[in-house]
Amino acid sequence: MKLSGETVLSAPREWVWDLFNDPQRLSKLIPGCEKLEILGPDEYSGTLNVGIASVKGVYSGKLKLEDKRAPEHYRMLVDGKGKQGFIRGSGTLDLEARNAKSTTIKYAGDVQIGGPLVQVGQRVIDSAAKMMLGQFFAAAEAELQAEASGKVARQGIFLNLWRSIVRLFARFFRRQ
Amino acid sequence: MYPSAFEYHRASSVKDALKMLADYGEDGKLLAGGHSLVPIMKLRLAQPAHLIDISGLPELGAIREEGGKIVIGAMTTHRAVESSSLVRAKLGLLAECAALIGDIQVRNRGTIGGSIAHADPAADYPAAILALEAEIKIESVSGSRTVKAEDFFIDLMTTAVRPGEIVTEVALAPISTGCGFAYLKHRQPASGFAMVGVAVLLALGKSRTCERARVGITGLAAKPFRARAVESALAGKDPAQAFASAAAHAADGIDAMSDIHAAADFRAELARVYTRRALEMALPRAKA
Repeated sequence: MKLSGETVLSAPREWVWDLFNDPQRLSKLIPGCEKLEILGPDEYSGTLNVGIASVKGVYSGKLKLEDKRAPEHYRMLVDGKGKQGFIRGSGTLDLEARNAKSTTIKYAGDVQIGGPLVQVGQRVIDSAAKMMLGQFFAAAEAELQAEASGKVARQGIFLNLWRSIVRLFARFFRRQ
Repeated sequence: MYPSAFEYHRASSVKDALKMLADYGEDGKLLAGGHSLVPIMKLRLAQPAHLIDISGLPELGAIREEGGKIVIGAMTTHRAVESSSLVRAKLGLLAECAALIGDIQVRNRGTIGGSIAHADPAADYPAAILALEAEIKIESVSGSRTVKAEDFFIDLMTTAVRPGEIVTEVALAPISTGCGFAYLKHRQPASGFAMVGVAVLLALGKSRTCERARVGITGLAAKPFRARAVESALAGKDPAQAFASAAAHAADGIDAMSDIHAAADFRAELARVYTRRALEMALPRAKA
């Protein structure tokens, strides 16, 4: 399944880039995301609890970011599975500054989905993916708006501090 | 495959079903005709711990006339709708639509309430229900509310029905005398689902111009919709001249679905062609 499209978020490109590289904040925006943890530099593991109509399932997997060029581009590799099927794929994300206050996000990806899910879901998988992407971008827009109005700004200091501590620990444990 | 184990409960009334739905919460699932739910349970994509069967409730299975409207109980089967003399006489569009759903086995079991609550993007009923401007009654332990068809379908398999609620009735105003109508679909040959389905209601003015048109389209997008661009392109026009150009707007501004059977472009083209054909079929049935 190929997925591509673009959307506009009303925030400066740097803000969008920071958001898209911040697992803590991202985990709140991804529909059904139950956890997103740092495995290493640009590598995360996560759990999604997806429910569309009566089809509900828990999927866990890994997410890896490659070819990072801040603040404009990265490639994302996804590999996840659940009882009902698997999802494997890659995609690119490009951020273009439209002006000082808004950013165009272009995405393109190729995703393979397999397992029982496909047997009944084939007809609606594309639409389900589009629906979840739509929900994600709507949540991202709300998050960026909140940031703009300063609600998150103060928390940000502590978050950044917390993140540096986490990173420090991650590095420390990898060395051993 | 066998479904995972579940408890089967037969509700004795709507009230009883609502209570069970409230008690079991996330673990409970309503069973109507079962022609969408049971296949996904057999693949274990859905594993409800409690199935609450409402299909046998007589209070949900009747078709009646009330306050100038025709009220169809949510558990009325497609077969009962298609063969009801009341529906055939006053809601010909709905009867024709019901007759084209799936196959005879599906029509004998599947229900109008189950179909719209499941909101499969390729289901037939939603197109007709939108064109007929139906009102859907939804009940919960705290009371009942009525939702217009256009506000009912929200997104892919997502409706205005909230957890703990049951769709109990669909109320429709009879089609005015002289109104032409048609439901046409491009059928997916294996499943019978609508790759695109178009329901049209057409009222002509004195000089046989289009006085009013309502067009509902299913199968094209993640949710069924009213094709307002087509409707407004027809208003006040001479049908013979306006049909082709109006039908060309059938997919305007719509994010068409894509699957192994039909790519988005092809689906959009099907919508335009079937809209024109449905209009052409409705015209000779309309009287000024």
